[in-house]
Amino acid sequence: MEAVTTTQRRSALGRLYHGETSFDFMGKKKIGFAISLTLILLTIGSLLTRGLNLGLDFEGGVAWQVPVSKTMDADAARAVLTSNGIETSNAKIQILTNGSTESLRIQVGDQTPEIQVKVKDELAKVGKVDVNEVSVNSVSSSWGRSITEKAIRALIAFIVLVSLYIAWRFEWRMALAAILAMLHDVLISVGVYSLIGFEVTPATVVAFLTILGFSLYDTIVVFDKVKDNLDKFAGSRTSMADITNVSMNQVLMRSINTSLAAVLPVLSLLILGSGVFGAIALREFAIALLVGLITGSYSSIYIASPLLSLIKEREAKYRNFRGAHAVGPELAHMVVSGTATGAKSVRRQASEIGGSGSTNIAPTSTALLTHPPRPRKKRRR
Amino acid sequence: MTRRLVISLTGLLVVVLGSFVGNVVADNKPALGLDLQGGISVTQEPVGKFDSVSLDLAVERIRERIDSLGVAEPEIIRQGNAIVVNLPGVANQEEALRLVQVTGAVLLRPVLGSLQNRPTDPNATTTTGNDSASTTTIESSDTAGVTTTTPSEVTTTVAPVTTTLAGGPSRSLPMVATTVLESTAVGATDAPTLTASPPGDTVVTTDVGSAVTEAPTAQAPTTTMDPSNFFGDPSDPTAIVMVDNTDGSETYQLGPAFGTGEVFNNDAKADILQGSWGVRVTLHSGATGADLWNVGAAQCYAKTKVCPTGRMAIVLDGIVQSAPTVNQPSFSGGVDITGSFKESEAKDLARVLKSGSLPVRLEVQAVQFVSPTLGEDSLHAAVVSGLIGVALVLLFMLLYYRSLALVVVIGITLSGLTQWNVISLLSSTNGLALSLAGIAGIIVSVGVTVDSYVVFFEKLKDELKSGRTLKNSAERGFKSAWRTILAADIVSLIGAFTLWYLTVGSVRGFAFFLGLSTMCDIVIAWFFTRPAMLLLARTKRLQRGRVFGVDNTLQTVGGV
Repeated sequence: MEAVTTTQRRSALGRLYHGETSFDFMGKKKIGFAISLTLILLTIGSLLTRGLNLGLDFEGGVAWQVPVSKTMDADAARAVLTSNGIETSNAKIQILTNGSTESLRIQVGDQTPEIQVKVKDELAKVGKVDVNEVSVNSVSSSWGRSITEKAIRALIAFIVLVSLYIAWRFEWRMALAAILAMLHDVLISVGVYSLIGFEVTPATVVAFLTILGFSLYDTIVVFDKVKDNLDKFAGSRTSMADITNVSMNQVLMRSINTSLAAVLPVLSLLILGSGVFGAIALREFAIALLVGLITGSYSSIYIASPLLSLIKEREAKYRNFRGAHAVGPELAHMVVSGTATGAKSVRRQASEIGGSGSTNIAPTSTALLTHPPRPRKKRRR
Repeated sequence: MTRRLVISLTGLLVVVLGSFVGNVVADNKPALGLDLQGGISVTQEPVGKFDSVSLDLAVERIRERIDSLGVAEPEIIRQGNAIVVNLPGVANQEEALRLVQVTGAVLLRPVLGSLQNRPTDPNATTTTGNDSASTTTIESSDTAGVTTTTPSEVTTTVAPVTTTLAGGPSRSLPMVATTVLESTAVGATDAPTLTASPPGDTVVTTDVGSAVTEAPTAQAPTTTMDPSNFFGDPSDPTAIVMVDNTDGSETYQLGPAFGTGEVFNNDAKADILQGSWGVRVTLHSGATGADLWNVGAAQCYAKTKVCPTGRMAIVLDGIVQSAPTVNQPSFSGGVDITGSFKESEAKDLARVLKSGSLPVRLEVQAVQFVSPTLGEDSLHAAVVSGLIGVALVLLFMLLYYRSLALVVVIGITLSGLTQWNVISLLSSTNGLALSLAGIAGIIVSVGVTVDSYVVFFEKLKDELKSGRTLKNSAERGFKSAWRTILAADIVSLIGAFTLWYLTVGSVRGFAFFLGLSTMCDIVIAWFFTRPAMLLLARTKRLQRGRVFGVDNTLQTVGGV
């Protein structure tokens, strides 16, 4: 019983480290779904009421940037705009701070090149700075529209291609679950942007795309384990919920490690890069990434896998075991041994010993070299 | 097996370190994008109908202009139909905009006079100056009907218009180039008379010459060809302008344009015409095509005041591409331009005509300005915080996987070096530039790279726990991890490729770096992690100790 005693002495962290956890993810799937649903509803609500703060590159327009000086402030800028016949009610005027320098950013709708130059010259004159210190960024609204359209087209093509690949490499149910989880992540990240009111720039889009990629990547790794276990448990009468639970417990450590490895550099970008060094260009980017990475890791466990399990339970093979799933030591045994055999014996022993005994029957870590039962031949689909 | 692993391991190390040293020696460094360096980016997109050749030409013209100005490391990218010009370090916006706006319009202008730029030849007069001059003829391309133009005719000097200019003694104005335009049409029976003229016989050309000498020389050159005189803007079709030919060997004074390249159909192609390379193009009929052309051709053929030299210059963006003599008063259908073309010259001219027939109209879509200090700050912040982030990840790996984390550290270093190599190489060859989005993409990819190791090590741990030997576990673990890594990386690659192909701007840049880092991940996993781990697993040292907290010395079956 040497192995058993070592197992007993392990703390929660130790069990995590050794991949012997027995968290009942499936039992708590409703909590996960409820949280996600709330977040998604919040996102939709915010999108409908507040919308997204689209940046210059998507809406088109002109933005001048001029150093703040004694003679140059928001009112002075507004006066310059008015004198050139530009409606100031829609003008976005904000002060950007970058390190020790402050500058004023004035953004308005599409203007002709002549007016752009004229306003630039006047801003320089009013601000008493060199003309070259005033910068003009302009994007025609048609170009803005076209890059937005291109991005959306690319996104759709991406989703279709990736779904096809996952369907081919795994199965269509996994493709469906993975894509739904990915959309969930992107939606929530967009929601955060909408709620806080950050401006959406091309860099933001890049961040969202990164999120999308990471979310899928993370989900695929979990699903690969599920697929492994589907084959392993194919011979036994194991419910889909069990298989999902076992898979998630087995990859839990990996998920935590990977998420940490992905989040650490982004955190560093956020705290050091934009906080300590004051690079604003990095801040929003890092926030979008951080939100995305966290939702990505969360969704691959709490959304993608339960979804997959729900979809898969409709299959004839798993329909009969719907609802029932093992917890506690039974689950732990399956997680460690990777087989369903013995789960019943654990249950039997547990019932013989009685309520208090269940903790004694911890799974052995130096397990037998168990070969999984040969899976039954699958029927051709 | 062991040998193959060693070969793979050393092979990778040699390739990566070798190319690193190579890049350092060749002084290839990753070029910095505009957002990291400061400068101006102008995005233009064609509007309306255009020929893709004309877009290529427009890009070339922009590049020539920028190169002639000596902007350091300009970046001119075609993204779909959009042309993005990045000018790092340029602060003057108007200047930048002026630089990148090319029209691609081809103008057909009568040649009022020309002079050769041969500074060392004071009395560069007349006659046999045909060596450097472009000798081209335009003929109607009615195929078989038109017979050979004899080489002699092609090269004949048209006329001894030798007006030495008062202002520039070094420059003389010999009418050297002879280009003959002949009309093609079937009915053009008069054409053959020109073309069929016997070798050495310069009847045609002398006629031409005399015609030239009569009328125009007096007014045109003397009055207007004073070099000190400033002429009109070459892009203004109504102005009298002074422009050079492609290699700058000749300067032309040109009258207001008869028409544009749009009189031609979009079918110009270089071909062997009458024994040497030439260009054949057809006119489209109607008021905007053949009629317009024929007005000019008739004037030139008759050598009226408007076109005293009888030559018609084909001008693209202020540069004379060719100035053939018109050999026929009227054309129908096709036009042949023949002369002493080299194959490449004929092809270039055909390209110009093709593009001119459907000139591209570029419209500025976006102008972006980044101040140098802003860019520098971002770069500094991104690099330093990124490196600290990576260091933190490695520290975490070290704490978690102890000595095995060494493999992770080396692996990530190699992966970083590989990316640096590729980026440096592409920076110097293809004008790739590292943008802020790219750096961010790379930093995020660290997570994915580390994940390959995590997946592998976790699988290895599982195998060890089920009682296998370390060697066996490493092999089986890698096999199953490899499948997972590949599946997940292929999803990333699909994403990278789709985005790269379908988007523009920074998203595209990001897609490139995502793809690059994913490829690196795959390569490093197979050529480094696999051999390194499998070889390590065979060493006695590792086999004796505990790996991942799994006591693998206890390989006895049945711990109970």
